Amino acid sequence: MAIKAVRPSFFIYWDADERRFSGFNQTKNAFRLYPRLSTQICVPFFCFFYVPRGVGTGFMGMKKADYLTGLALILLSIYVLVESWRMPRLEHLQVHPLSIPGIVPAFLAVVLLIFGLILVARSVKAGGHRLGWTRENTKKIFSEPGIQRLQLTAVLTIGYAGILVGRIPYWLATAVFIFVFILVFEWRSGMPAKERSRIGVVAAILAVIVTTAVSYTFERLFLVTLP
Amino acid sequence: MDVLLENLKLFLSAIGGFIAPLALFHMAWSTLLGIVIGALPGLTATMGVALITTLTYKLPPDLAILVLICVYVGAIYGGSRTAILINIPGTPANAATTLDGFPLAKQGLAGRAMGVATSGSVLGSIIGMFFLATLAPLLGNYALKFQSYEFFWLAIFGIVISGHLTALDDPIKGWIAGFLGLLSAMVGQEGIHAYDRFTYGTTELMGGFALIPAMVGAFGLAEVLSVMKNPQAEMAKNPQDSVIPKLEDITKYWRTIVRSGLIGTVIGIIPGVGEDIGAWVSYAAARRKSKEREKFGKGSVEGLMAAETGNNAVVPGAIIPVLTLAIPGSAPAAVLLAAMFIHGIRPGPMIMVEAPFFVYQVVAMVFFATIAILIYGIALTKPLLKVLAIPRTRLMPVVFVLCVIGSYAITSRLFDIWVMVGFGVFGFILREMKYPMAPLVLGIILGDLLDKNLRRGLVLTDGDITPFFTRPICLVLWLITFISILMTIEPARRGLQRVFRAVWPERKPG
Repeated sequence: MAIKAVRPSFFIYWDADERRFSGFNQTKNAFRLYPRLSTQICVPFFCFFYVPRGVGTGFMGMKKADYLTGLALILLSIYVLVESWRMPRLEHLQVHPLSIPGIVPAFLAVVLLIFGLILVARSVKAGGHRLGWTRENTKKIFSEPGIQRLQLTAVLTIGYAGILVGRIPYWLATAVFIFVFILVFEWRSGMPAKERSRIGVVAAILAVIVTTAVSYTFERLFLVTLP
Repeated sequence: MDVLLENLKLFLSAIGGFIAPLALFHMAWSTLLGIVIGALPGLTATMGVALITTLTYKLPPDLAILVLICVYVGAIYGGSRTAILINIPGTPANAATTLDGFPLAKQGLAGRAMGVATSGSVLGSIIGMFFLATLAPLLGNYALKFQSYEFFWLAIFGIVISGHLTALDDPIKGWIAGFLGLLSAMVGQEGIHAYDRFTYGTTELMGGFALIPAMVGAFGLAEVLSVMKNPQAEMAKNPQDSVIPKLEDITKYWRTIVRSGLIGTVIGIIPGVGEDIGAWVSYAAARRKSKEREKFGKGSVEGLMAAETGNNAVVPGAIIPVLTLAIPGSAPAAVLLAAMFIHGIRPGPMIMVEAPFFVYQVVAMVFFATIAILIYGIALTKPLLKVLAIPRTRLMPVVFVLCVIGSYAITSRLFDIWVMVGFGVFGFILREMKYPMAPLVLGIILGDLLDKNLRRGLVLTDGDITPFFTRPICLVLWLITFISILMTIEPARRGLQRVFRAVWPERKPG
């Protein structure tokens, strides 16, 4: 069989289902899978690994997420490996070379690297590398009601815990957070003004009660200085 | 026999120690709170125990642990109410309960189902408690033999088994979660040469990530985010028939109860594998052994009994390794472990030497919590269901306020709030991608153990790794670990099955 091409590849793997070697490479915009090593020579500059039989078939729903997670894990473990390598070996203290600080993080990074490679390999096999990010898809995801509620919750909670607490008095931050949280989620468009004001009153009462109870318990009973 | 009598005496005196107005008062409110936390979807047992930990700083150690154990037992039981009435598990532990509990409720037997859940939970707790009282002292003495090599494997074993069992569809995700936990435990000053790893000059990171803020984030904020993302649950309907457990249900299914209790206890002892798995495994075993298999999933009392006995038996089981090895058997037990450290109790192999009485106090705490759920289960079920009507838009902000103040209160550092938020967001993303949380938490706890013992072991042997593989306990631990990994790789699994079949030829069914 004639060799058709020599290609650079990030990964080369043995596909146990198809009983053949494959390689793949991701460049800026395109993902290339080199299916048959018998007709193409792939030059690995990253790694070789094994994709067991049956892997990559039952995970269709998560394949894109797995692909990205795998890449993130690979990056994370390379970063940890580099950092562990740079940690001091403490030769001047004459410590045992196997007790140096970097050894366990490096070990964990190697394990995570292997897991990352497996995730990437099997998600690629399932086609997860075709992310299909288009403006319409993104818009569609962000217009789902669940995702919208999630975004609102994330903004409110992180804004409260990460920004408000510690900058303005604790009681004010907490009362505002509870009040706004309830209004944001319970006020609907087209709701009569009477209903809105009723929810507003409930929210205000709850905000006052919770803030007072929490502040009193922690400040007076547990003697914690509030942020 | 003498040892048993001695144990019984210690247990009885521990019980006597808690029969005081103050202790009974704490028991009463904390179990009730536990049941409410368990019943509310979106408030899990882990989150409940973590949040209540922050409320018990000022209590004396034994009362604080009593409160936490009551919340823990109460929450696992309380989750069955929601599972039966609205087909949503109140805590993940009650997922198997929905399979038969909800069909029973639809047939108008909600009260009977809740009675079955009550008796199953109580009996499961009692079986688990029995093993806690008998196994913990034995294991404690045995653990004194553990050296660095064993502790290293125990950490790896815990992560691998917990990762495997909590993500059965896709074990690699469990393992990734576990190793990420181990890795995050590497942040901060290491324990042998006091070098600051991954701290980049910030003093806050020198102590590493504190466990309670990390857990409050991973189980609190992450839960708040997913409750708000998911569609709203339906409202509860009140049961019409009696909720008092029937003796007939217990006598008829005593085999299922004992089997589920044993399974639950064993699952509890396995590090990081908690109530949810205990319930599923008990349910599956009951279904396989049942004479009325066809009823399972359509309202089988036996299935409901198995699930509820199994999950409550996990609770005392999970406390066994907490006390004897300082390794949590489940996620709520991890918080319990952290709380014990906060209160100056040092669980671990030395506990049977330093504080044997504490072990029996813990047994007594489980005992009182069990009595309390029985009383509440019979007397207070119907009024308790009112809490299910609280809308999530009002509950969740209050829960998050408690998450924030709870993380902050331990050391009064704003940094811990950021740790909570960080782990919450990170945990939510992992959870959405079907990574289990329990191995992550286990990893955070076991990271230090792994780090110190691997390096110490290697120094002791001057780089020779043979003791890690040849010492008897090590041998067992690494063999189980490796077989567990091999079983997930298809060709290896077939090879292993062939080996096993050659050794034990399969018997043809009946």
